[in-house]
Amino acid sequence: MPPFGKVLVANRGEIAVRVMKAMKEMGMKTVAVYSEADKYALHVKYADEAYYIGPAPAIQSYLNIDAIVDAALKAHADAVHPGYGFLSENADFAEAVEKAGLTFIGPSAEVMNKIKSKLDGKRYAKMAGVPISPGSDAPVESLDEALKLAERIGYPIMVKAAFGGGGTGITKVNSPEELKEVWERNKRLAQQAFGKSDLYIEKAAVEPRHIEFQLIGDRYGSYVVAWERECTIQRRNQKLIEEAPSVALSMEERRSMFEPIIKFGQLMGYFTLGTFETVFSDKTREFYFLELNKRLQVEHTVTELIFRIDLVKLQTRLAAGEHLPFTQEELDKRYRGHAIQYRINAEDPLNNFTGSSGFVTYYREPSGPGVRVDTGYVEGNWVPPYYDSLIAKLIVYAENRAEAIRVGLRALNDYKIGGVKTIIDLHKWISMDEDFQKGKFTTAYIAEKTPQFLRDLKRWEEERAAIALVAYNKGLLKRKVEAQAGGKGVENAWKTQGKLMQMAPRVMW
Amino acid sequence: MPKVYRLYNDVGDLFTLAVETKGDKYEIKTENNTYEVEFKGRGTKEWESVVMVNGRPRRVEVDQGYLIIDGSEVFRIDRLSEEAPKEGAALEELLKGKEGEVVSPLQGRVVQIRVKEGDAVNKGQPLLSIEAMKSETVISAPKAGIVKKVNVKPGQGVRKGDVLLIIE
Repeated sequence: MPPFGKVLVANRGEIAVRVMKAMKEMGMKTVAVYSEADKYALHVKYADEAYYIGPAPAIQSYLNIDAIVDAALKAHADAVHPGYGFLSENADFAEAVEKAGLTFIGPSAEVMNKIKSKLDGKRYAKMAGVPISPGSDAPVESLDEALKLAERIGYPIMVKAAFGGGGTGITKVNSPEELKEVWERNKRLAQQAFGKSDLYIEKAAVEPRHIEFQLIGDRYGSYVVAWERECTIQRRNQKLIEEAPSVALSMEERRSMFEPIIKFGQLMGYFTLGTFETVFSDKTREFYFLELNKRLQVEHTVTELIFRIDLVKLQTRLAAGEHLPFTQEELDKRYRGHAIQYRINAEDPLNNFTGSSGFVTYYREPSGPGVRVDTGYVEGNWVPPYYDSLIAKLIVYAENRAEAIRVGLRALNDYKIGGVKTIIDLHKWISMDEDFQKGKFTTAYIAEKTPQFLRDLKRWEEERAAIALVAYNKGLLKRKVEAQAGGKGVENAWKTQGKLMQMAPRVMW
Repeated sequence: MPKVYRLYNDVGDLFTLAVETKGDKYEIKTENNTYEVEFKGRGTKEWESVVMVNGRPRRVEVDQGYLIIDGSEVFRIDRLSEEAPKEGAALEELLKGKEGEVVSPLQGRVVQIRVKEGDAVNKGQPLLSIEAMKSETVISAPKAGIVKKVNVKPGQGVRKGDVLLIIE
């Protein structure tokens, strides 16, 4: 029996489609919501029903709680899946959904309210025995206090907005002078972006990796940790490549985190999926807790592949009140191989990763052994400038990391997108880079490699332009391509148009 | 004197290429690099051609107006024009000088211009918005500098590849 009859997915793009696929497999009907900009989007096409919720800017549509709850009621949905981003960690939304008599697929509003800021998370971490970095336990009131504290824990430090998220509101500070400079500006920015100006500071990790643990819990106090994901390859605190398991951890180090994380979950009464973000240093072999993400992650796919489980289905079943279907021991035994996820963003790596909006005019997706593509776009779709730039996720799987990188490179070569700029070339470059192949990297990887990949990517582009110019000169672009054997060749376009018109059903106005 | 071409691709990038031709051999210069491209003729497959680029063979096909190189890279020429030869202008200058031009990545109508001539802009700062298909695309500054010239007015229709403004 499917746990629900009909589920509304309060999101867009690839994650909406990915969630709907799980819902369809479980035998449930799917409902999409869409903004003005997404009328013709893939997630709308893919759903069984779709409801318009407002103009293009997210604040009027995908962040519009009333409109989404209205749509859910209109569609007679039983549950709402929030995806990631947008309203996925919004306690007010979870509450509104619950009040309307529907199930929110995620933690309850009550649980979410227990951790409102990153500092609340730190407090729970301390109680549960999850290692945290030295720093303030409460918002730092003044610059003087910040300077004193920084002196005590030692530079470099991180200045963070307590209510920030998604990698914004975080600045690394190396000296008292810098701290003075950054303090007021970050306070102002935090006020603008998150509505609260609370800042706190903590010691920055040495050569950190970003490693996160997947916590899964049911409503009855059973928990497992589905190991970790390594998300170290980032630019400006936004992840680009994620993999599981991490090359840096030994089984003992990994296992040492399970108990405190499960304790954390128990203390909060947390259920469904949660992600513990930590930084890990190769040098000190220590974890520092960063924050708990109370939603499905973009990179959940790599965990799915190495354990052969479907996290969205599991999340849905757990939200419906089912029991956790496996123990930690059983889960550990399921582990096989290595998975890597490449985020295919519509961005220009040559131009500081500025977003690229436009129509996808050419689209060829990779397939075959070890390749999974979660896409939100197909040929002819428009990539709007209003939302995040993630077009699709390419996930590869193989028996070990070296093999997975080879599968990745093959799949990236098969992935061809025209009409918008993407970071596919950059992924190819990284996959061929020796440091990446050896697993030697920190969160500064992209920043450090920028001069090298800029030079190479620029050269690749120019070489293509040079070839195109020669092809043009030789008339290759104008040459008519004959149809394959059996066809009569390409006809006059007007003739084809006429035939199509006659074949098309007539609409009487 | 080589011929200088301005080539725009489908995503609004501009390539300025200086080309010298000897039969099927092309010497193509950009600001920092030189590409020796030799057209070798048909490949092993139907509708495939082979070119040598700096001694390395590359296979070229055409699909839906896109050039497919080695089956793994796509490139599309959106506009190609030959630069009028300028008296006394050095080749280096011709290759370099155009990077401050902000071109329209799509066909549409200019709705809002946020800067005026003489303004200082940062890299990535929004310059103007173009409306197409009822949706707005924001064009940002490709580099930091001073807005030297604004070529368009609000409400004006623009084509893909039109120079909207110049930053120096």
